[in-house]
Amino acid sequence: MFRKTMTTAITLLLVLTFVGIGAAMEEGNKRKGKYTYRKVYKSCFDQGGCASETPPLGPNAKTQAEWEKIFGARDFAAFGCSQEWAQLSDEDVKDIFAYLHAHASDSPTPLSCK
Amino acid sequence: MSHRNPFALALLLALAAAVAFGCATGTPPPAPAAAQAEAAFEPFHSLVDAAFVKQHIQMPMAEDVMIIDSRPRRPKYEEGHIPMAVSLPDSQFAKLAGQLPANKDALLVFYCGGLACPLSHKSARKAEALGYTNVKVFAEGMPGWLKVKGNYASVSVEWLQKQLQADTGLVVVDSRPRRTQYDKGHIPGALSIPDSEFAQLASALPADKAAALVFYCGGLKCPLSHKSAEKAMALGYTNVMVFADGYPAWTAHTQEAAGAPMKAGKAEGTIDTDNFVQMVTEAPERLYLVDVRDSEEFARGSFKSAVNIPVEQLEAKMGSLPQDRPVVFVCNTGARSGESFYMVQDLKPGMKNVYYLDAEVTYRKDGTFEIKKPTS
Repeated sequence: MFRKTMTTAITLLLVLTFVGIGAAMEEGNKRKGKYTYRKVYKSCFDQGGCASETPPLGPNAKTQAEWEKIFGARDFAAFGCSQEWAQLSDEDVKDIFAYLHAHASDSPTPLSCK
Repeated sequence: MSHRNPFALALLLALAAAVAFGCATGTPPPAPAAAQAEAAFEPFHSLVDAAFVKQHIQMPMAEDVMIIDSRPRRPKYEEGHIPMAVSLPDSQFAKLAGQLPANKDALLVFYCGGLACPLSHKSARKAEALGYTNVKVFAEGMPGWLKVKGNYASVSVEWLQKQLQADTGLVVVDSRPRRTQYDKGHIPGALSIPDSEFAQLASALPADKAAALVFYCGGLKCPLSHKSAEKAMALGYTNVMVFADGYPAWTAHTQEAAGAPMKAGKAEGTIDTDNFVQMVTEAPERLYLVDVRDSEEFARGSFKSAVNIPVEQLEAKMGSLPQDRPVVFVCNTGARSGESFYMVQDLKPGMKNVYYLDAEVTYRKDGTFEIKKPTS
């Protein structure tokens, strides 16, 4: 009984956390986020940190829930160019999230990284 | 320089007709129109012909020469006048006399609607009464000017705008250099045929030699449109005009017509969608519209006044954006136009007059469009 209650509580907590992250991140500016996101890889490419100016992950590479999870955990390893990502401000990260989230694969307007 | 007196000639013809016909039949024949006109007013004492007028036209005009259209401005002067002539209707002579040259020895040539028109003669006398010493009348006036092969009319901005709004099929040709002038702004729908490339690009003109063509360039000091007009006539075009006031006058007129200033949208950097639609429809020259979609998308249709700079090329071409009017980025959803806006904000922060259209736009090949506010 105790175990079942704990599992439900943890699940609820996780759901609320992700919803909260999603809501907070939604405040970002998706238009600005698109520019910032592409700028990260242009800069990274110019420094020889990646093979292409095009970001490796387009918004439609993930679902909205998957983006929420990645940004909630601030785990940007899959994006590469760690040096550039480390230099982004919280606002920049919020903007990039808003862009990726708004055009995720299960969003009303999924987009590749065009 | 040749001076003629068409009135004396007309009187002689009338007398000859009276002798030949009236005396023979005993009843006076109807007098020719010119003779009737002559009877209506006393012609000015110093008359000149079209060659004399043409000899004194130059771009820009000499300070001590003024060719003056004495007809009512609307519609006569607006729909066609001798190139470089100023409008000074006889009915408003006293009010507008301040526009005459300060030098009382300047050459003033008045003209109006032809031999039957007294307005230029009346104005010429008024000018002499003000102390002007070198006053002439081109009595054959506008009809006489157009009868001479190789002559063409200049049109006003009001007339040109009406023709374009009514979509009369008029072909407007921009004679300025393409990259440095046309690409930075032009009359909507105008063809770019720089005068320096006229021979190579003339094939872009309509095949129909009777098509109405209006050439323009950078204003009254610019000779390019006049040169191109002459080249078009040499190719056989018969309905050639010049909008000599050119692009500066077009911009000033359309800005004045537009009235209200630009209205920003709710989101940062956006232009209000309704305001944008109104401006792009009524006064597109107030905006420098940049379509940041790919060239293939642009080729399938865009705003008539837009230039194409794909977002991937914008950074390299940012220096070409003008500072004298608002720059508005457009695409088909607001994504690439927004990206362009923030690129300018980031790389050229001093450039403040920049906007983007955050809306869903459907473009058609003919330049028409449909705009919906964004759904996301």
